[in-house]
Amino acid sequence: MSDKNRNDGRRRGRSEFLLKVLFRPRVVFEDLAISEPSPYRVFFKYLIWFAFLPPLFAYIGGSRHGWDLGAEHPLLLGETELRLVSALYYVVLLVAFVSTAFVSRWMSATYGARKSLGVHMAMVAILAAPITFGSVIHLYPHVFINLLVLIPALIWAMYLLYGGLPVALGISPERGMLMASSLVAWLLVAFVSLLGITVALWTSGLGPSIGA
Amino acid sequence: MIANPASNGEMYYHDSVVRFLLMCSLVWAVLGMSAGVYIAAQLVWPDINFGQPWLSFGRVRPLHTNGLIFGFGVSALMATAFYSVQRTCHVPMPTPRLAWVTAILWQLAILSGGLSLLAGINTSKEYAELEWPFDIAIAVIWILFGIVFFATIAHRRIKQIYVSNWFYGGLIIVIAMIHVVNSLAMPATLFKSYSIYAGALDAVVQWWYGHNAVGFLLTGGFLGMLYYFLPKQADRPIWSYKLSVVAFWAFTYSYIWAGPHHLHFNAIPDWVQNLAMVMSLILLAPSWATMINGIMTVSSAAEKLRTDPALKFIVLSLAFYGLATFEGPMMAIKSVNAVSHFTDWTIGHVHSGALGWNALIVFGTYYFLAPRLVGGKLYSVRLANIHFWLALAGTMIYILSMWGAGISQGLLWLSLDTFGEPSFSFKDIMASMPPYYLLRLLGGVIFLAGAVLMIFNLTMTMKGRETIRIRPPVAASVQEST
Repeated sequence: MSDKNRNDGRRRGRSEFLLKVLFRPRVVFEDLAISEPSPYRVFFKYLIWFAFLPPLFAYIGGSRHGWDLGAEHPLLLGETELRLVSALYYVVLLVAFVSTAFVSRWMSATYGARKSLGVHMAMVAILAAPITFGSVIHLYPHVFINLLVLIPALIWAMYLLYGGLPVALGISPERGMLMASSLVAWLLVAFVSLLGITVALWTSGLGPSIGA
Repeated sequence: MIANPASNGEMYYHDSVVRFLLMCSLVWAVLGMSAGVYIAAQLVWPDINFGQPWLSFGRVRPLHTNGLIFGFGVSALMATAFYSVQRTCHVPMPTPRLAWVTAILWQLAILSGGLSLLAGINTSKEYAELEWPFDIAIAVIWILFGIVFFATIAHRRIKQIYVSNWFYGGLIIVIAMIHVVNSLAMPATLFKSYSIYAGALDAVVQWWYGHNAVGFLLTGGFLGMLYYFLPKQADRPIWSYKLSVVAFWAFTYSYIWAGPHHLHFNAIPDWVQNLAMVMSLILLAPSWATMINGIMTVSSAAEKLRTDPALKFIVLSLAFYGLATFEGPMMAIKSVNAVSHFTDWTIGHVHSGALGWNALIVFGTYYFLAPRLVGGKLYSVRLANIHFWLALAGTMIYILSMWGAGISQGLLWLSLDTFGEPSFSFKDIMASMPPYYLLRLLGGVIFLAGAVLMIFNLTMTMKGRETIRIRPPVAASVQEST
């Protein structure tokens, strides 16, 4: 198989996966329930790309239009600053995906779920898919418009989590509900921590200096 | 003199007062949440107050907060405290008439206090807006509440005082203390008084009160509810009883210091602000100890979720409790507070606790309690499940919209031009907020719709049924229907 065909196959695999998550999520979880994917394969085939798209869209939107916070003029970051922020966004997303997979595997002991790291990585990839789709809206970086698109994407991801987790991890829906709620708690706290760290960095002088 | 309930033959738990308080709290829930939705709509369409002062934001907002905290919240706390203290002490309340007097007077005080707020009578102290005659009434009724509760503890038939009673007891003692100290004032007329504290001292006392009202009422009191009803619903003992008691004392010790974090960068001593910040961070430990205790208790009882819709509300409330008790200390860090203070982020934080923790745990408790009070089954499990998703969606939409609004506000307010002046006026920034407020309104409407479904469900569950009479286990284990 030539490198070109192999690359085409990889791309097709990813796009098929994304379409399935959107239109036939149950099938994706059922497939995962009977497979044992390698964590490295999931990471390199899906997660690094899912983490790459939101910062890419944010970079394009931020450099062309600037972030609209509701003020008269949008916030335009310098090229170097924008690259740095986008790169940090990428790193944060990767850390978030991998740490969530590890936390999920850690919780699996309590709920009697499957312990394979690859399965947990794959589940995170499925949950990340709607947010990756939704992040297209970063191309138009208006905070409120982004919220309008990302809130349904987040709700869709939560729906996938509650419905798919027990199927993928081979536990009863009741145990799945408990484990999903525990993961929601982890995700909420992780998100708000990120918010706090970001804001603390802004007030320390790292980040946007608006209007000055 | 308080009679020993065992000596006069009254060996049934007094649950009719619990039912009364439960129903009152449901009425307050609808009134308070509707007031919240109405003022949320006013922030989008200011004209819908129709030029009427009593419908203005400044008057309806305290009605919203007081109606929900003291009407809905305290009525629910009184109901669950009266219900659980009898069962954990294996004895009926020795003062059932006083319990009824307390319950009725409390409703009258909050109702008349609420009307006074609409009339524009207001001390201007947040969460302590009611004027001095109401403050005195509240203090007296609160003491009655304490007498009913502690008299039951004093007559208990088992030696140990269960941990939920420690939290309810802490609620009664600390709220009495902070309410009396913060409300000390010199009356000028029947409905006007002046605080005995002046300037910055007044602010420190006010936020010592304000934060500990959140701490010992909205957190500690509801933890009492959690520690009784979660093990009952899960049909399991608390995962670690020792941890629950350690968490109680650590919580009580650390919470009381944290109030001045509401006054960061204000005209109070810097060391007071720093101390409050440090104690707020320490507070995370006992808060999360309780969350872990709750999650581990329920983890081994997953099969109960199949038949009991109530448990999932409590599980989700623990997730939001984890969020709110993490976000609070984080926002108390001065470098974060510099952005978050005076923005809608704070409103979002408060509601992640109020909707996600307080309301959800009450909903879960009521879905458990109402059928048991009448010895029947829940009218509709399906409606309860729909309510669960409405509550989750409403809370998430509310919090996310306020995060977006708050961070935008914080960044814009801190932005300076080349002369070091603020780049944007307050008016301009607020003029860009209606889209976020519309989204918040949507979240509030969805949450309120879920609460209305619950009220219909519980009303149908209890309609036409008498409150059943239950004997304490030491006297008899049989249940008798009247």
